[in-house]
Amino acid sequence: MKELNPLLHSQLRLAVMSILMNVEEADFVYLKQKTDSTAGNLSVQLDKLSSAGYITVEKGFVGKKTRTVCRVTEQGKQAFEEYVDTLKQYIQL
Amino acid sequence: MKEKKISERESLEIITEMISRTKDRYISDGNIMLMWGYLVVAVTLAVWILIANTHNGVWNWLWFLIPIVGCTVSPFMARKNQAKSGVKSYSDKITSAIWTIASLSMVVLTLFCLVFRFVYEIDSWRAMIAYPFLIVPFAEIVQGIIVKEKSLIVGGVIGLLMGMFTLCCIAGNVALVANWFMPLFIAAFVVMMIIPGYIINSKAKRK
Repeated sequence: MKELNPLLHSQLRLAVMSILMNVEEADFVYLKQKTDSTAGNLSVQLDKLSSAGYITVEKGFVGKKTRTVCRVTEQGKQAFEEYVDTLKQYIQL
Repeated sequence: MKEKKISERESLEIITEMISRTKDRYISDGNIMLMWGYLVVAVTLAVWILIANTHNGVWNWLWFLIPIVGCTVSPFMARKNQAKSGVKSYSDKITSAIWTIASLSMVVLTLFCLVFRFVYEIDSWRAMIAYPFLIVPFAEIVQGIIVKEKSLIVGGVIGLLMGMFTLCCIAGNVALVANWFMPLFIAAFVVMMIIPGYIINSKAKRK
């Protein structure tokens, strides 16, 4: 049986990818709130997903506040879909 | 939530849980609708009062305040709203596209009317009365269906009925007399924009 993608087979990264697969874009605060994670940990995991090319991270400003917006890439979508397909085999859905 | 290895069952639970946490979509801010509603009502009242008192059609140019002010202010408000909610869903993208199409088609129609007026010397401004009365309610109904907001659907349907009535008046050469048409126009935008705007704000406060 095919191995589950280790980059996605992790609690927080999988949660982030599941959210981003479901929306057009989400900012750092929203992701932190929905995943109940700490800012430091979330930041590290976003970097890992971004380095793998699964998401894009765009830093900008709204007024004087910084805003980090994340979007899933085509490569990320494909990886997530493959992950779900493999997962189905593991749990025999 | 931490960065840790998980079982296959836990993976499935995380995916399901995250989908469920993000699916709760609603309009979190009715201020854009209130801005458009009050703008239309204010301009309509101003044009009505000024023309009634001066009998000078030049005040009709004030109608242009609606797209100028509205299209300048609403993108800023929309950007602020999105930053506040922190997320842009696919339904946000669709509704944004619908309103963009509605706005752009209004701009194109205005250009057509200006060409008719200044090139061919034909007065086609009545199209500018009927069209927003049809396109705005239509966009509002679609948005209401997408975000499951009843006040938008009801407001849109009432506006659409008024729009169809106006279209029939124009097609049947019934004069759109200010004494009844202006109140109708104002009432339509109160029902379509102002009331739903307050309802949405009130719901957002409770949530």
